[in-house]
Amino acid sequence: MPDQERTREIAVDRELCMGSGMCIVYAPGTFAHDEATKAIVIDPMGDAIDAVRIAIEACPTGALSLTSEEERG
Amino acid sequence: MSEVDDTQTLDREQLRRLFDLRSSYNAHSGGDYTDDPYPMWAQLRARAAVHEGTVHELTGHAGAASFHGLPFPDRPHFSAFSFASCDTAYRDDEVFASSPDAAGPEADDISVTSSMLSMGGARHRRYRSLVQPSFVPAKAQWWIANWIERTVHLLIDGFVDDGRAELNVDFAAAIPVLTITGSFGVPVEQALVIRESLQRPMEIVEMLEPIVAARREKPRDDLISVLVEAEYTDDDGVTHRLSDAEVYSFAMLLLAAGSGTTWKQMGITITALLQRPDVLAAVREDRQLLRSAIEESLRWMPTDPMFSRWVTRDVDFHGVQLPRGAVLHLCIGAANRDPARWVRPEQFDVRRAPKPTLAFGSGPHICIGMHVARAEMAVGIGALLDRLPNLRLDPDAEPPRFIGMYERGATAIPVLFG
Ligand code: SF4
Repeated sequence: MPDQERTREIAVDRELCMGSGMCIVYAPGTFAHDEATKAIVIDPMGDAIDAVRIAIEACPTGALSLTSEEERG
Repeated sequence: MSEVDDTQTLDREQLRRLFDLRSSYNAHSGGDYTDDPYPMWAQLRARAAVHEGTVHELTGHAGAASFHGLPFPDRPHFSAFSFASCDTAYRDDEVFASSPDAAGPEADDISVTSSMLSMGGARHRRYRSLVQPSFVPAKAQWWIANWIERTVHLLIDGFVDDGRAELNVDFAAAIPVLTITGSFGVPVEQALVIRESLQRPMEIVEMLEPIVAARREKPRDDLISVLVEAEYTDDDGVTHRLSDAEVYSFAMLLLAAGSGTTWKQMGITITALLQRPDVLAAVREDRQLLRSAIEESLRWMPTDPMFSRWVTRDVDFHGVQLPRGAVLHLCIGAANRDPARWVRPEQFDVRRAPKPTLAFGSGPHICIGMHVARAEMAVGIGALLDRLPNLRLDPDAEPPRFIGMYERGATAIPVLFG
C-alpha cells in the first residue's frame, strides 16, 4: 500500500497527562512535550508501531490511546 | 560550575562510612540481609499474586524493618508479587493511596513525608506540575552538561592513574549526591554534611535558606532558581508558586529519594556487566546497548524492590480481601521478573526488546527523577568505558555481592584496568 494511505491516530488526554516523559523514552520519534509539559504527537508515524504500543502501555496515567491504525506491510 | 572543581577534597573515609550498605546507618532497611530473595519471591508469585504479610517476613527475613509502609504495627499487611497486581495498585491511587493520610500532610511541615511523595489527587498534580518541567527527558542534557559530566570525570581523575579502584563507593555513590547538591548550588564540602544530615532536616534547611533567598533575589541557571520561579495557573485561573517550605521539602525529597537509589542502581548495573565480561565487551563496542543494559538492570534488580500503598476502602484484590486501612506492599522486584511478562525472567539479558518495568513505579507518583537517574548512570558508566581500558573485576579481591532487603546494592566493586 502506498505510504500516504497509511495512517495512525494517537490521542493524548491532556487532563490525564502529568508530563512523566515515559512515552518519549519509548517512542521519541512520535511524542514530545509542549510548553505546558503535556505530551503532544509530533509525528504519528515517527516510530514503529510496536514502539508506539509500548509507549502507550508505559504511560503511567493512561493518557494515551491509539484511536486508529491502518498500517500494512 | 566551580563548586565541583575540588571533588578530590571529598573525604573518602566519610563516604565509605555513609554509604556502607552493612553499616548501622542502613540496618533499619534490612541492610543485614545477605541472601538472594528472588527464588523465594518466584515461589510466592507462583502460589498467588497477593499474600498476607510483609515482604521481608514472607521472604524469611526475621529482622525488624522500617521502610516505605513499614513498620505500622497496628495495621494489617499484605504483599503483591505479580506484575499485574503491582501495576494495577500503582495506577489506582484512589483505592491505593501513597500515604496513610490520603488527605495529605500540612503545608508548612518540612520533611520528606510532607513532600509530594505523600500527597494525593489534585494537590499532588498541582505541586508536581510545578517541578516536572525540570525533570523531563529533554532536560537530561541540562543536568548532564551542568553537573553530571564534570562530577563523573573528576571522580575518574581521582583514580585513573592507579590502575585499580573501588567503583561502588568511590564512584557510583558520589555521583548522585554531587549532582543533586550541585544543582542546589551547595558547595562540595557541604555535600557530605547534607548526606549525613538527612535525618535532621532543619540542618539542611539552614544550609538551603541563604541559597533560596539569593535565588529569589537573582535567579541563576540552577534547580533552586527553577523551583523558586516555577509558576502554574490552575483551571480557575489562580497562579501557584512554591513557598520556601515547599522548596525545602522538595529538595529533601530529591536528596532522600535520589541519592541512595541512583548510586545503588549504578553499582548493580556495573557489577552485572563486570560479572559478564562478554556482555561488557559488547556494550563497550556498541554503546546503544548501554541504555538497554541500564533498563535491564532496572528490571532485573531494582535497588528498592518494594514500595507500599494504603488501602482506602475494603476491596477484593486478586482474590484477597483487603480491609480499609491495610498496607499493601508492592514487591516490584518480584513483579519485574514475572514470567507472565518476560521470557527467562531470571536472566540478565541486555538484548531484550524494550518493555516498561516497575523499577520507577507507575501511576501519578511515578519517579520524577527517572530521566536524571538514567542520565547519571549512562554518563557514569559510559565514561568508565571510555577512560578505563580493559576494565575488569580484581581477581584477587573479594568479589562483589548483592545484599540488602529493601535497599539492595552491591558490596564493594574492586576493579583493575589498563
Ligand atoms: S507517558 Fe503519559 S503522562 Fe507521561 S508525558 Fe507521556 S502522555 Fe504524559
